Amino acid sequence: MELKKLKDSWDNFPEVSMEERPVLSSDLEKIVVRNPLSDAFYLKNKILLRIIAGVLLLFYNMYQLRAQFITDGSELDRQVVIFLALSYFIYFHIRLLLYADYSTLLGLRLMPFLQKVETILDKYTLSFGVVSILSGFYTLAILEKVLSWRKAGSLLSSHDSSVYKWLIIIFLSVSFYILFLHTIIPKYKKMLTAVRKYKEGIGVRAQKK
Amino acid sequence: MNNFTKKEGPDQDLRSLLKTQHKRVYSICRFFANNYKEHQRLFADIISAASQSIRSRRGEESKQMLLLRACINMAALHSITSDLQPVSDRSIRFKSPDYQKNMLQFRERMGEITDYEKMRLFLEFEKVSPEEIADLTGPLPSRNVVPKEGVKKNFIPYLKEKLIWS
Repeated sequence: MELKKLKDSWDNFPEVSMEERPVLSSDLEKIVVRNPLSDAFYLKNKILLRIIAGVLLLFYNMYQLRAQFITDGSELDRQVVIFLALSYFIYFHIRLLLYADYSTLLGLRLMPFLQKVETILDKYTLSFGVVSILSGFYTLAILEKVLSWRKAGSLLSSHDSSVYKWLIIIFLSVSFYILFLHTIIPKYKKMLTAVRKYKEGIGVRAQKK
Repeated sequence: MNNFTKKEGPDQDLRSLLKTQHKRVYSICRFFANNYKEHQRLFADIISAASQSIRSRRGEESKQMLLLRACINMAALHSITSDLQPVSDRSIRFKSPDYQKNMLQFRERMGEITDYEKMRLFLEFEKVSPEEIADLTGPLPSRNVVPKEGVKKNFIPYLKEKLIWS
């Protein structure tokens, strides 16, 4: 690469033709308010949605937990575990949202910016573990409800077999995680690998200079 | 870009900044965009990223600095996203014959260089001082980094790393 020739090209570069100019005054209002991050990098709405869903489920769980505690119900252990899982789920997502701080993310320097994008993607990918556990609990609860509507005695019988209940929860949670692992997670893993590789590439190149 | 309409309001500063600095945004697109669609998208992304950063800035950073950071960060994301697309046409295609000719010549002279080198070139052509360049990229990873594997971690730091990250 001849720097002098390149500089000449740079200095004599023509203006972009009117036809190809990206912005006209009428579009500026729309451009300055639109989100510059693509869907895979912008997780704010997804995280917010999860927090809202988590809070609603937590309220419902607290109501059920109170009912189980008063009546000394057989579901107390399960409700306590759901309470702990939901609390961690909400904490994890609030923490991630505060850490991401999307409004200032694009104003960061390149390396901290890439580092932050990498961490956000990494933590979001990890969050599917908790989602799988919760999915296991709630799928069993839905199955129990469906069975109780179809056959009155089935709810009681499933409550009685505590060990089987936990085994079903573990089986469902693992199944959900495998499902996520083959459907949603690869997309984020791919992005994460690409960001990591890009960041490392810049680091190596900068050190060689 | 010459036909930005003047409007009163909080965005006036932003408008005037873009009016004076938009050529810098065009400039970085020369390095990273291969056709006019990519050029338009990258330009719009940088403008919206810069406006977002300027609106929510908390520190002492100048608006010019935030605009340059938006240029570099969005160019990096553009590059990462382009690499992830399965089969993309990387040929240079612009409607204007003059612009197309200059782009081909410029890319030919530039040769195959990395994105970091493109960024450095862009900043040098834009007459950004070396101190400011360092401020744009941030601290680069040290060469003597101890590999994570094989390092025994205590339980509390491990737990802290898992629960609280920064």
